[in-house]
Amino acid sequence: MIDNSPEFRVKRGIGLTLMLVLLAFAAVPTLWVLILSFRAPMAIFQPIWESPLALTLDNFFKITRSNFPSALMNSFITAGLSTAFAMIVGVPAGFALAKARLSGKFVASWVLLLLRMAPPVGFVIPLFLLYVNAGLIDTYMGLVFAYMTLTLPLVTWSMWNSFAQVPDELIEAAIMDDANLMQAFLLIALPAARPGAVAAAILAFLVAWNDFFYALIITRSGTATAPVAVMNFISYDSVDWASIAVASIALTLPILPLMAIANRYIVQSLSGAVKG
Amino acid sequence: MGRIQLKGVQKDFGKVTVIPPLDLEINEGEFVVFVGPSGCGKSTLLRLIAGLEDVTGGVIEIDGADATDQSPGKRGLAMVFQSYALYPHLTVAQNIAFPLRMAGLTRDEQARRIDNAADVLNLTDYLDRRPKQLSGGQRQRVAIGRAIVREPSAFLFDEPLSNLDAALRMGMRLEISELHKRLETTMIYVTHDQVEAMTMADKIVVLNAGVIEQVGSPLDLYDNPRNRFVAEFIGSPKMNIITGAHAEERQATSIGIRPEHLTISSGSGDWKGIVGISEHLGSDTFIRVDVAGVVDTMTVRAPGKLRLAAGDTVFLTPDMENLHRFDKTGLRIK
Ligand SMILES: Nc1ncnc2c1ncn2[C@@H]1O[C@H](COP(=O)(O)OP(=O)(O)OP(=O)(O)O)[C@@H](O)[C@H]1O
Ligand SMILES: [Mg+2]
Repeated sequence: MIDNSPEFRVKRGIGLTLMLVLLAFAAVPTLWVLILSFRAPMAIFQPIWESPLALTLDNFFKITRSNFPSALMNSFITAGLSTAFAMIVGVPAGFALAKARLSGKFVASWVLLLLRMAPPVGFVIPLFLLYVNAGLIDTYMGLVFAYMTLTLPLVTWSMWNSFAQVPDELIEAAIMDDANLMQAFLLIALPAARPGAVAAAILAFLVAWNDFFYALIITRSGTATAPVAVMNFISYDSVDWASIAVASIALTLPILPLMAIANRYIVQSLSGAVKG
Repeated sequence: MGRIQLKGVQKDFGKVTVIPPLDLEINEGEFVVFVGPSGCGKSTLLRLIAGLEDVTGGVIEIDGADATDQSPGKRGLAMVFQSYALYPHLTVAQNIAFPLRMAGLTRDEQARRIDNAADVLNLTDYLDRRPKQLSGGQRQRVAIGRAIVREPSAFLFDEPLSNLDAALRMGMRLEISELHKRLETTMIYVTHDQVEAMTMADKIVVLNAGVIEQVGSPLDLYDNPRNRFVAEFIGSPKMNIITGAHAEERQATSIGIRPEHLTISSGSGDWKGIVGISEHLGSDTFIRVDVAGVVDTMTVRAPGKLRLAAGDTVFLTPDMENLHRFDKTGLRIK
């Protein structure tokens, strides 16, 4: 049915305007950063229409000579490893929580929720003190472990939900077919919960990738991640806006494909892709 | 192969006893149906036999060997689930192959058995599809295919047809019966549909609150129910149960008479009543009659062409041969 009443058109107009405003809020800063990254250093503070042609690729070359690329690598390594470890432990844990007849699941759910909700400050101080004593400051291991306090509860929690959507009968059918528990898990339950697992891995990676606080406290120059390295572009006497702009693009680009995949799988896992 | 014995098998969930100690013997090649109202423990009993639940007490023997502590996969039984439980990420062929893969059969042997099963079940054209791309009846066939390729010593079915529409259900009922005839393998079949039970079973086990009320052939249960529960549960439409004066004059707490064992007449008879609704099925007409002194409306089976208007006065006469008398505990008085 097509509603053409004036009343509906006004409502639709208001709706569209609101959407455009929201879109602008999200898009304008991104566009601005994009433009900034191509601006010559002296033109940065000039309005674009005054010197529209003051464009350069220097900013990109300049940043490759800084320590930012190695910081980006650190981000990849720590986010990747903390996601991988969280998946290795959290996926089977989620399976057990969803399917085993356990007492105390209620407690487990509260603990997991608490871990997910608790602010990082709550963890970072004890971790810092521990790390100073254990010599884990500015090490990959230290940072990966710290990130796992974020990624592991996230993965466990969301895989618990994903596996809960896999019908018990599917696993029982596998058991009847003489699969052992490991085979039932790896060959049947996990593929059935695949959308959820992909979504969990991506979300975990993003949590670690986007972290600033942990890395700021726990790393020094050796393992600083990209968000921390951005701080180096701010010195006492000046702020290197162009480099910051390039860095933000470098930080955003890798997650775009992840977002695209995650979007698809999150929708799938929400709509319950698992049906016999 | 396929002889299953339950000896004093009991199942508790926490503090609740769902199945009090129970004995049951299932013979080789038998088609046994568990029937009973919802929640009476049919699925639980089947799952105990399958090994998907642990017994609280008692012994389960398969082909004479104690299987009580054997894992489900090692019992040599195949199960068909109500939801079909097809592996969603695998094709039909891979679904059917899964138990063969687990058994470590060679690829050639797997292929041979898959082709064979697909042939028998008319699945040859669908082998490369995913379960999502199949109709309910086709999924059911795949589930059966996955069960038969293992060549199990017994099949366990838990309400396999309840997700199908009426027409399809009838077709699958016949198919499963034919399968049983051909394979001559023991089948245990759970349903709460007593028509399925009557048409398919060699032996019916009537369960009520975890207790076996009676075991027997369909006609045996129909003609000689041990108690009121079985009498009322088996047969459609239900047996008419009459309490009060009519029962007492026959020295019983209640009496039961099936719709086809009542003669209806407009002239004279034992019980006078008023015609209510008539259901015309073509071959038969089921007429509801309100009889004075009887609480429930009685159902009478009459020839299809009989026409009676609501409100007519009629007389019902029970066939004394087929009148069942029950005592106050519900047991039938012989
Ligand atoms: N895992 C369980 N934990 C606790 N109680 C259970 C469990 N499984 C079944 N029960 C209980 O055991 C009883 C028998 O259940 P069961 O599923 O065997 O019934 P059913 O005869 O198959 O019923 P339906 O015809 O509805 O499938 C029910 O009262 C049910 O609530
Ligand atoms: Mg059931």
